[in-house]
Amino acid sequence: MPLDHRRLCGPEESQPPSLWAALAAEDEDEEGAGAAPRDPCSLRPLFARAGLLSQAQGSAYVELGSGTKVLCAAWGPREAAEPGPGRLLCEFRRAPFAGRGARGRPGGLAEREAEREAAAALREALEPAVRLGRYPRARLAVSALLLQDGGSALAAAVSAAALALADAGVEMYDLAVGCALCRPPAATAAAWMLQPAEPEERRAAARLTLALLPALNQVSAVLGGGQGGPPEDWAQALRLGLDGCHRQYPVLRQSLLRAAQRRDAAAAATAAAASVA
Amino acid sequence: MPWQPLSPGLAGERLCSTEEATAGSGTYTRHGFIFSSLAGCLERRSEDSGLPVVSVVRDSESQLLPNVGAVVTCKVCSINSRFAKVHILYVGSTPLKSTFRGTIRREDIRATEKDKVEVYKSFRPSDIVLAKVISLGDAQSNYLLSTAENELGVVVARSEADGAHQLV
Repeated sequence: MPLDHRRLCGPEESQPPSLWAALAAEDEDEEGAGAAPRDPCSLRPLFARAGLLSQAQGSAYVELGSGTKVLCAAWGPREAAEPGPGRLLCEFRRAPFAGRGARGRPGGLAEREAEREAAAALREALEPAVRLGRYPRARLAVSALLLQDGGSALAAAVSAAALALADAGVEMYDLAVGCALCRPPAATAAAWMLQPAEPEERRAAARLTLALLPALNQVSAVLGGGQGGPPEDWAQALRLGLDGCHRQYPVLRQSLLRAAQRRDAAAAATAAAASVA
Repeated sequence: MPWQPLSPGLAGERLCSTEEATAGSGTYTRHGFIFSSLAGCLERRSEDSGLPVVSVVRDSESQLLPNVGAVVTCKVCSINSRFAKVHILYVGSTPLKSTFRGTIRREDIRATEKDKVEVYKSFRPSDIVLAKVISLGDAQSNYLLSTAENELGVVVARSEADGAHQLV
């Protein structure tokens, strides 16, 4: 039979989708029911690496144990048209494959609004950390890409963006470390949990994201809301979040150190190769 | 003045107190302590007069911005009867990663006889010019440059006749 160029032909064999649907439903039930109540103050394992992209001046990749993966790139000072101190331009994008399940309306207004809000939050968290006064009439660009959302995405993005800026050689007062908390609905034990995973975050009654500058002990941004309970609970949540940030700080600094060592080694290697050739 | 590179410093790391040293480039002081603001190598330079200077240096000096009073190397991209627009390529001897735009006004080309200057006779597009930054500029204009000194002015130019020779 001659090839039909006008139509898109499907595969030769086909299977009913109900086979796969049953598997997904089983997974969710297991997660919800079988998950042992985890220690609310425990931090997920964190992986951070700086200096991976060659196209950008600075870059960082942060991965949380719950599956959140954020890739961030930063560019140094470029010319800006406005006078006065430098400006920080932040951009936050979600990859189309970032969330589980179907997207509501791909590229729709709700998604763009959420991205814009996240970018504004990122800027609020990073601005106190960067020495903008040293870059008059310049603009610094930061772009964060969320590859997989496993909960606490904004907090991971804040940490990744601060790492990328430091890797790009931008003068900063301190690294901004982000930490997220959530509080399950009032029916169950209503204690604040650090770094929620995605199902916990979806079911949460209140969410909070903190950004801290650990060496100066200054909080740069507090974002979130919901039904939390009396104000003392919120204060306790803040303290828990600050503690979480302090515990994450050494990992991020270590990744910066390793990136600097790698850069030095690469520079030495190219210098040796150039002198030989 | 000898300097010894120490371990790589990180942004926000507390280096020492202000009594032991003075802050150099890449550092800032707060609450009586010196913190580093760059992720680079720590340098401790001992000055003869006064305290040693502590600064943090990164290998690639890519974060240089043209400051007021800096001598820059730029290339003329378009000329007008009132000013010449240039692309700033080098600040001092370090190349810039992204080009900045600058303007040399007619009255800043020469120090004497400013009203008799003709821009068409002083510059041509694609000339390399050494200039000095006099201002960062306001909302509409770019960096303002001036060549009104003996060492500044056109350094390399292409001759009109063949377009192949370079006069220095």
